[in-house]
Amino acid sequence: MSKVAIITDTNSGIMPADGEALGIIVIPTPFMIDGVEYLEGVNLTQEWFFQKLADGADVSTSQPSPGNLLELWDKVLKEYDEIVYIPLSSGLSSSCQTATMLASDDYEGKAFVVNNQRISVTMRQSVLDAIMLRDAGMSGKEIKDKLEEVKFESSIYIMLDTLYYLKKGGRITPAAAALGTLLKLKPVLQIQGEKLDAFAKARTANQGKNIMINAMMSDIENRFGGLDAKDVHLAGAYTYDLDKANEFKSEVEAAFPGFDMHLDPLSLVVSCHIGPGALAIACSRKIHI
Amino acid sequence: MSNTINASQVKKMFLAGASNLNAKKEWINELNVFPVPDGDTGTNMTMTIMSAAKDVQSLSDDVDMATLCKNIYSGAMRGARGNSGVILSQLLRGFTKGCRDYSELDAVIIAAAFEKAVETAYKAVMKPKEGTILTVAKGASEKASELAKEGATDLGPFFEEIIKYADEVLAKTPEMLPVLKQAGVVDSGGQGLVQVLKGALDFYQGRDVDYKVDEAAATPVSKKQVAAELETDIKFGYCTEFIVLLSKPLNIKQEMDFKAFLESIGDSIVMVADDEICKVHVHSNDPGLAIQRALMYGQLSNMKIDNMRMEHREKLFHENESGEYAEIETEINGAAEATPTYSAGDDIPLKDGTVSSQAAAEEPEVPTEHKEMGFVAVCAGDGLAEIFRGLGVDYVIEGGQTMNPSTADIYDAACKVNADTVFVLPNNKNIILAANQAKVMMEDNDSDKKIVVIPTKTVPQGITAAINFIPDIPAEDNEAAMIDAIGTVKTGEVTYAVRDTMIDDVTIKQGDYMGIGDSGILGVGSSIDDVTAMMIEKIADDSTELISLYYGSDINEDEANVLSDRISEKFPKCDVEVQYGGQPIYYYIVSAE
Repeated sequence: MSKVAIITDTNSGIMPADGEALGIIVIPTPFMIDGVEYLEGVNLTQEWFFQKLADGADVSTSQPSPGNLLELWDKVLKEYDEIVYIPLSSGLSSSCQTATMLASDDYEGKAFVVNNQRISVTMRQSVLDAIMLRDAGMSGKEIKDKLEEVKFESSIYIMLDTLYYLKKGGRITPAAAALGTLLKLKPVLQIQGEKLDAFAKARTANQGKNIMINAMMSDIENRFGGLDAKDVHLAGAYTYDLDKANEFKSEVEAAFPGFDMHLDPLSLVVSCHIGPGALAIACSRKIHI
Repeated sequence: MSNTINASQVKKMFLAGASNLNAKKEWINELNVFPVPDGDTGTNMTMTIMSAAKDVQSLSDDVDMATLCKNIYSGAMRGARGNSGVILSQLLRGFTKGCRDYSELDAVIIAAAFEKAVETAYKAVMKPKEGTILTVAKGASEKASELAKEGATDLGPFFEEIIKYADEVLAKTPEMLPVLKQAGVVDSGGQGLVQVLKGALDFYQGRDVDYKVDEAAATPVSKKQVAAELETDIKFGYCTEFIVLLSKPLNIKQEMDFKAFLESIGDSIVMVADDEICKVHVHSNDPGLAIQRALMYGQLSNMKIDNMRMEHREKLFHENESGEYAEIETEINGAAEATPTYSAGDDIPLKDGTVSSQAAAEEPEVPTEHKEMGFVAVCAGDGLAEIFRGLGVDYVIEGGQTMNPSTADIYDAACKVNADTVFVLPNNKNIILAANQAKVMMEDNDSDKKIVVIPTKTVPQGITAAINFIPDIPAEDNEAAMIDAIGTVKTGEVTYAVRDTMIDDVTIKQGDYMGIGDSGILGVGSSIDDVTAMMIEKIADDSTELISLYYGSDINEDEANVLSDRISEKFPKCDVEVQYGGQPIYYYIVSAE
């Protein structure tokens, strides 16, 4: 049986230090803040990041450099036979494409890049699934295929507290950009694999939360065939405001009896585009061996 | 003494009834329970019946009953505005259904027609309320049946008895609706109906009745003003008129396209088509375009082009006096409905004898992208219109409290929206029925397009509905979600009282400011800010997250901000948002959600 290493990045919400405990390797996402490079989860904390964002600092993200990635792969392959690499959704970043290209060159049969359109809590779930599949004795290719089989069976809704960062950033589709020109609205965005897109609008936070909960119920009912807790992972994410997030968590759990909602801070790649005070709900299909 | 009436008599009686209602409209307006400064029941009913009266007036005196009936009900349907206007149009529709198959009417037929009228009107109203025009109509109908059964044949006393009884029922309406009793008025819609009947009787009894239609009455004041302004500033120089001898009847799409084309090259458009001819009147700077376009549909006759800039001013003035502009508005609105529909594939013969397909008549302007779902919203005020457009509403009908749009206005607006399903946001409880009637009109025309009325009673409800629209989900789900959402917003509106009255045990003096909520008067006083604050305290509660203030055209931004600060202090946990609405009459429209 070949020895399989699992590598992901901090967009999964898993920080490098936590990766060790899980038996995986986590690449920190690099950020440029006012011209200085920081690494998420290494020398960049959530709190400091949002402080900088609020101060109007010039924040930009980039993908892990190909050089560093290859260096890491080479190092890992000395110890392991195969690599399963789970990067951020190809709809939101080109890191997946870059890695796929790299893997097709000299790493055929050795590095398997998973392109399953995940981010944040749904990406984290993919990583956990990969660990489970590896422990069950699957090969790198089998793990990749299994994860990609259910790539579209995930759904995320995010309610923003403000349109400010979304307009400033630009990583949104035109539909989202046209949202709420005159009224102060709380847009609800969706991530269905591809880009961040507009879904609905609300005037108040409670209305927005209800929209997300109803949309999620309808997805689970219609797209996932009315599965119950044993077939669907439910998760939540937030930017900056934990109290608000915990309140939302209990509201969601009340609406979905039997489900236990894992809650993570939203990864900073998304956060820098939507700003603080956002709430998200996510689901993905559970993988059964 | 006579036992029957023929079509010519019915025609004149109808016109006399319409004329009498018109004469009494101001008086009926004053019967409104809410002393708000709007042109309400009297105006709405008058405009509804005048739309029919103009159609009827153009008929010859030897008209047959079926044609007369069709003109009465189709004209009233198109012109219907406001709740009482829509109900009146339904009464006329039912009544004419009961008459159209006879060349002469006797008491038995008339009694049956009354019954049909009441049945039709009750069906048109979702929750019929007693103490209204419906009750008065029902009273008249019951009396007619009773008399007919007793063997009444002489129509003079027959009519007199019916009207006498209708008057009695009307006098009892305050006993049925407490709100009328407190305000010390009888129901205004019921009064309107009685006036129509009385006018008809006056003519029948040979009293000197002026049954000529005052055409100006069919047009809102604002539009007359627009016409008056045109006198001094002629934007389009050539008054162009002609008749197209249609080589084939126009279908609805061709008709709308032709009208849209005329609108793109000028204004003051009149376009009336039947199966054989299409009469066109347009003011344009390039009359050739209109003529060239018209040649696609057939030969032209009775062509006349005048240079208006060189005409004597008297002539233009005369045109206004005779109400030509008034006629223009109504006939445009009606044109779409009045014409039978033909299949979309009808070919249009071109002047050179070749045949072009339907595509040749496509709208000349850049067409908007076809959508699954679109929106029409009714509101008054440029700020509110802009807000609705910002929320993705395709077509905003300027209207609202002062000027209720007619069924035809709503129907036309929906036709202009390039979508399969058009959601209509009436944003006023007095417009919902007209919107529903537009929906029926669309169904009757076998259109592929569907109107769905979201029964929004206030502007904030309309805004909430538009916000809750989700393009990705089916129309039925959106309808349910929007109807659900409008229940989450509470509305209050601040205006002034036009007369002394008493409502909900609150004494109101003329000139007082009043805050009116979803369920009644929420505050009265002599300061706009105090009344608004008082009203907000009643509509906001612990669960309120957001209070929005839409300030009207009589309030400036600074004043609105001062009030907003005061409200913020009072409700520290709420967000308070100030938006420019620009609406007339209402100083503030407020929502709490």
